[in-house]
Amino acid sequence: MTDARWVGRSYETAPYQVTEKSIRDYMAAVGDERDGGDLMAPPTYAMVYGFDAFWQLWTDQEVALDVAHLVHGEQRFSFHRPVRPGDRIRTTGRLTAINTRGDMELVTFELRAVDDQDQPVSDGTALFIIRKP
Amino acid sequence: MKTMSTLDFEHVSPGQALPSLSKQVTVEQIRQYAEASGDRNPIHLDETFARSAGLPGVIAHGMLTMAFANQMVTDWLGDRSMLKRLQGRFAGMVVPGDGVTCSGTVASKDDATRRIVINLVVTNQRGEKVFNKGVAEAEFPSQKE
Repeated sequence: MTDARWVGRSYETAPYQVTEKSIRDYMAAVGDERDGGDLMAPPTYAMVYGFDAFWQLWTDQEVALDVAHLVHGEQRFSFHRPVRPGDRIRTTGRLTAINTRGDMELVTFELRAVDDQDQPVSDGTALFIIRKP
Repeated sequence: MKTMSTLDFEHVSPGQALPSLSKQVTVEQIRQYAEASGDRNPIHLDETFARSAGLPGVIAHGMLTMAFANQMVTDWLGDRSMLKRLQGRFAGMVVPGDGVTCSGTVASKDDATRRIVINLVVTNQRGEKVFNKGVAEAEFPSQKE
């Protein structure tokens, strides 16, 4: 069981420099390659520029989530503006709840991504499920 | 290069089904997604590790499935910037070899805000839901260009 005292801990990514290559690599990986001449990342690219916040949580040795038994249970995103090459985006992830349901642990992680002018780019909530071994 | 043409708000009505989108998931695609997203968690890449974690083998990232649902909606809208909200529950594992199909239905339409809500589900080749309680919300531009 993860210690509830870590609720409230937050993680901030370094500014993620969005490039055309990064967007096109993502589009090729998911198979969503439409391009209307104005290259805009698919909205779920939020997982790419925000991923380091997830990684910091998963590898935080103090919180010590049982990542071998962790799966992504639910995800919500709100998108405030399109993302294009040249954007620099910082994402803050905050561990906001640890609950149990039966023999599972539920970890809530809230995400907020902003651009260089501190204007909102996207918000999200991830729910991780940790199955007890 | 495919071009996009944007859907007309006037042509959308509650109950309308979106064109479905089907995908075959392969080991190669999961690897490619891991590289593109940065998520190299071994449960997605290492068969032995995945089994030791109690899984049947490597599994696809949930966010790959959500990306398919995203694509179904934005292909239909014709403009990625119209998608304002996307959410859902990863209800089942997707493994290499699975064929998944995304489906969506317009649940509601608000003329004042020019927003619509779409209910989404992704099923596998056995009809099992792998992504459910899916909701997307889109906003249409206020004036035609």
